Amino acid sequence: MKKYSVLLIVLALVIVIVSWGVSIYNGLVQKDEAAQAAWSQVENVYQRRMDLIPNLVNTVKGSADFERSTLQDVVEARAAATQVKVDADNLSEADIARFQKAQDALSGTLSRLLVSVERYPELKANQNFRDLQAQLEGTENRITVERKKFNETVRVYNTAIRRFPRNMVASMFGFGKKGYFEAEQGAESAPEVSFDFGKQA
Amino acid sequence: MKPFSIPSVFRFKAVLLGLLLLVLPVSAGRVPVIPPVPDPPRLVNDYAGILQREAAGLERLLRAFSDSTSNQITIVTLDDLHGHEASQVAYEIGERWGVGNAKYDNGVVILIKPKNRNGAGEVFIAPGYGLEAALPDAVCKRIIDDEMIPYFRADDYVSGVISALRVIMPLAAGEITAKEYMPGNEAWLVLASVLLMLGVFTWLAIMAERRKRKGGKGNNGNNTGGPVGPFWFPTGRGGSRPGGSFGGFGGFGGGSFGGGGAGGRW
Repeated sequence: MKKYSVLLIVLALVIVIVSWGVSIYNGLVQKDEAAQAAWSQVENVYQRRMDLIPNLVNTVKGSADFERSTLQDVVEARAAATQVKVDADNLSEADIARFQKAQDALSGTLSRLLVSVERYPELKANQNFRDLQAQLEGTENRITVERKKFNETVRVYNTAIRRFPRNMVASMFGFGKKGYFEAEQGAESAPEVSFDFGKQA
Repeated sequence: MKPFSIPSVFRFKAVLLGLLLLVLPVSAGRVPVIPPVPDPPRLVNDYAGILQREAAGLERLLRAFSDSTSNQITIVTLDDLHGHEASQVAYEIGERWGVGNAKYDNGVVILIKPKNRNGAGEVFIAPGYGLEAALPDAVCKRIIDDEMIPYFRADDYVSGVISALRVIMPLAAGEITAKEYMPGNEAWLVLASVLLMLGVFTWLAIMAERRKRKGGKGNNGNNTGGPVGPFWFPTGRGGSRPGGSFGGFGGFGGGSFGGGGAGGRW
């Protein structure tokens, strides 16, 4: 009978340790998948912008005698950004940085284009262009939001893999650090909630 | 007329202002923009006081709409955006309040900042993820330009809001119906199976313990009431989920927002 209870304790201990390891592993997998899901949302919104650009370029080209060089810059920056591929399984810091650099270059040419449009009143009055502009603005807002959400999930993930004892399981199964989006200069100050209501920061 | 009598409305406002001044310094150091989740839950949150008597009617309208379609449209008016983008403020309100149903993300935030001493008028319509297809950015933009701003320019905020809702509600309703709305039970299933497993283990351990005591050391008396539980047996359940009430407007459902929608200024 004593043998039986020792066996039971050993069995219980093994079950506890294994299930502890499994739960850590599953937790990391879940956080990894959350980051990948957030990444696919980031890619979606950037792709959405990519898809709007040909339409925008055509509308601008067709409606006004627009300066060629500005349009050409947008087209080239878009082509360059399309080339940048990110491995969604790793989301390494280098990959994210390259992706952001290409997309930010495109953002720059786009905003220059929209500033130039201010000088073409008939283009600004064109309903097709106004719809496109609304979509483009909405897409930029979506990009801001999805980048923020992505950074939040990556922060949770990166914290998880670095903290003891999870870091042992993390290194055992090859969970690597992921990259963040860097804040644009002075752009990312989210509006504050007026009262603290017990939420973690 | 007595020389220094103050109309009761003003006195009421003065009291409100006093209360606000008492509360505001708590968050000094940063500029508060996003109001806390309204308690009790409300769909019309007229902080700028531009909807006046019509607020209650709009609330009823939006509650009925929420009950019949599960789409939650909330109207928030603010006096000052403190230099933040209307798009970001509308998004943060939607996301933090959890406007819409968590499963369908079918909330809409209509943010209005009236034209006042704090600057130009601003309006933003932000649909949750689930309503982005029903309310695309260009459509939101047209609703704002054609239905709202013409009225807002004339300081007729109520007509602008009603005119916009006449377009937004049918569009949003085409997306999902109340029939599809079913609260998910997956979390409870997991919890139930965990509890079941714990129960089985506990029972096994208690049985082993009893057999050990009976067989090894003889009868100690009746042990069923004693602390025979194994070490993993929970001593108490920590924390309960804050439950929303059902029937009427039970509060926001945890919907999520992606930053879509459009805004306008006048």
